[in-house]
Amino acid sequence: MTASVPLTEALDDTAPPRQAWWKALLRDRAAALALITLLSIALAALLAPLIAPHDPYEGTRSVMQPPVWAERGDWTYLLGTDGQGRDILSRLLYGTRLTLLIGILSVGLGATVGSLLGLLSAFYKRIDPYVMRFADVMLSFPAILLGLALVAIFGPGALPVIIALSIATVPDSARIARSIAIGVMEQEYIEAGRAIGLSDRTLFSRYLLRNSISAIMIFVSLRFGQIILIGAALSFLGLGARPPAAELGMMASQGRDFMLFAPHIAFIPSIAIFVIVLAANITGDAIRDVLDPRLRS
Amino acid sequence: MLDTLAKRLLQSIPVLIGVLVLGFLLVQLSPGDPARVFAGAMAPPEVVEQIREKMGLDRSLWTQFWGYVERVMHGDLGRSFISNKTVTSELLAAIVPTMELMIACLIWSIPLGIGMGTLAAVWRGSLVDRAVMAFSVAGVSLPIFFICLLLIQWFGVKWQLFPFIGRGGPLWTVEGLRHIALPALSLGLIFIGPVARMTRSSVLEVLRLDHVRTARSKGLNESQVILRHGLRNALIPVVTLVGLQAGYLLGGAVVTETVFSYPGIGRLSVGAILSADYPLAQGCILVLALAFIIINMIVDILYAILDPRVQKR
Repeated sequence: MTASVPLTEALDDTAPPRQAWWKALLRDRAAALALITLLSIALAALLAPLIAPHDPYEGTRSVMQPPVWAERGDWTYLLGTDGQGRDILSRLLYGTRLTLLIGILSVGLGATVGSLLGLLSAFYKRIDPYVMRFADVMLSFPAILLGLALVAIFGPGALPVIIALSIATVPDSARIARSIAIGVMEQEYIEAGRAIGLSDRTLFSRYLLRNSISAIMIFVSLRFGQIILIGAALSFLGLGARPPAAELGMMASQGRDFMLFAPHIAFIPSIAIFVIVLAANITGDAIRDVLDPRLRS
Repeated sequence: MLDTLAKRLLQSIPVLIGVLVLGFLLVQLSPGDPARVFAGAMAPPEVVEQIREKMGLDRSLWTQFWGYVERVMHGDLGRSFISNKTVTSELLAAIVPTMELMIACLIWSIPLGIGMGTLAAVWRGSLVDRAVMAFSVAGVSLPIFFICLLLIQWFGVKWQLFPFIGRGGPLWTVEGLRHIALPALSLGLIFIGPVARMTRSSVLEVLRLDHVRTARSKGLNESQVILRHGLRNALIPVVTLVGLQAGYLLGGAVVTETVFSYPGIGRLSVGAILSADYPLAQGCILVLALAFIIINMIVDILYAILDPRVQKR
């Protein structure tokens, strides 16, 4: 075994200047590719009503059509049709839309509440122990358990899933926001602000919030992939999005009944989820590496 | 040692209360009238009223909550709406299969993940390192149901190597092992990634430390340095990872059990929720939350044992 570890390690810690982080990000080819993939998928999902070739909800008589590259494939239905004869490509576009929406809303809502808690607890040291204890308690409920509980109470649907996933995002983002905000609070301009008699409110919103927000958002966005996976899993189990809406996890679960004759019905949406989450994870890891080389894994 | 234990027990009290409130809410907030559901749609109103009284549904929320807590403490979680068996018996029957699945998953994925992570750290930047990292990113990005479906398609349908429906019996029987193979493989595949990743960064961290340099300079060979002085210390954070990832594993188990019709707690919960069987759903969530608390507690205690520095903090 040859080991060439510790010496090069120290030299690796040359962080690029913060302003150029996105340039550094794009220099990493895998990350650039992941980011472009993610953005194109998001764009396609956004434009779903314009670019979907067929109605995603209307069944036809041509059921279980294979995709165009398979035998008996047909250019009318590029990715084939599902068990009810619905065009899979159109459903994929609409499904991606709902899957992404669930993820974005959950992370957005949870991160907003969590960051505010974290910032407040760094700003007002008095409430810090309480907020952190609260975060500890909330961390004890894994997202999937919250999801199961809320769906059990309110019945299956996208809304309880979004609420559960938001709640699950709160404690993590509170901790992240707190640690970032504590760093900001030690800066001289905060002290200077206090010295010239700025109100707490100005100090908080103009100086603390504005200087922490981008870092918080980036770190929280690392959760996006995981949240998408849990949301899709809940929909797969029949606990999330309800038919007739299209959602990727639900589409995969509907395809289970046709696994013997038409495995593509389940596999295509599954691959779509994989690509989205993979792209999100690679992008997130790369951003973190660029911003904070100490966290490089 | 006892200190850590006591602190952990105290910390879990609010969580326990939260879980109990959640379980209680589940019975309270659920749409539909439990007495009506219990009596059946055709029952005359008098009978429904009688059942309501018998179930204590006409008393104040507070009294009902205390009644609920008291019953839970006595292990009485009510009866399933659907099967009419006691929730406790349904849960007990499902716990063993789930534990078997967890064991069958962890027993191969943790050693493999640790091995992969160590190799990646030792040959940092090499092809092996990149392959391990790519595998682990792919692993945490794959929806677990996709893995399950792929394994069923290949190992179950195409090559007919393993059965993919239900449980064949206890883990020590041949049929039991054959049935658990695919579920354990699916669940393990999503767990290797996080373990390998954590091991890698932890080993990298430890290999930089002074005692490793001392070990090297006193002339130990490289594998001794890594195994004795590196890996041993690096495994401490990996232990906590298993605790931190318990929720992740739990989510995976819920999906895996459902796809493979494996009769564990995960499938039981999903079934109960989908059929609006509130007593059973409440029981499942209670048990899952309790399991989660216990796992985290065990991990914390293990951590304190493995790393005496933790106690001093």
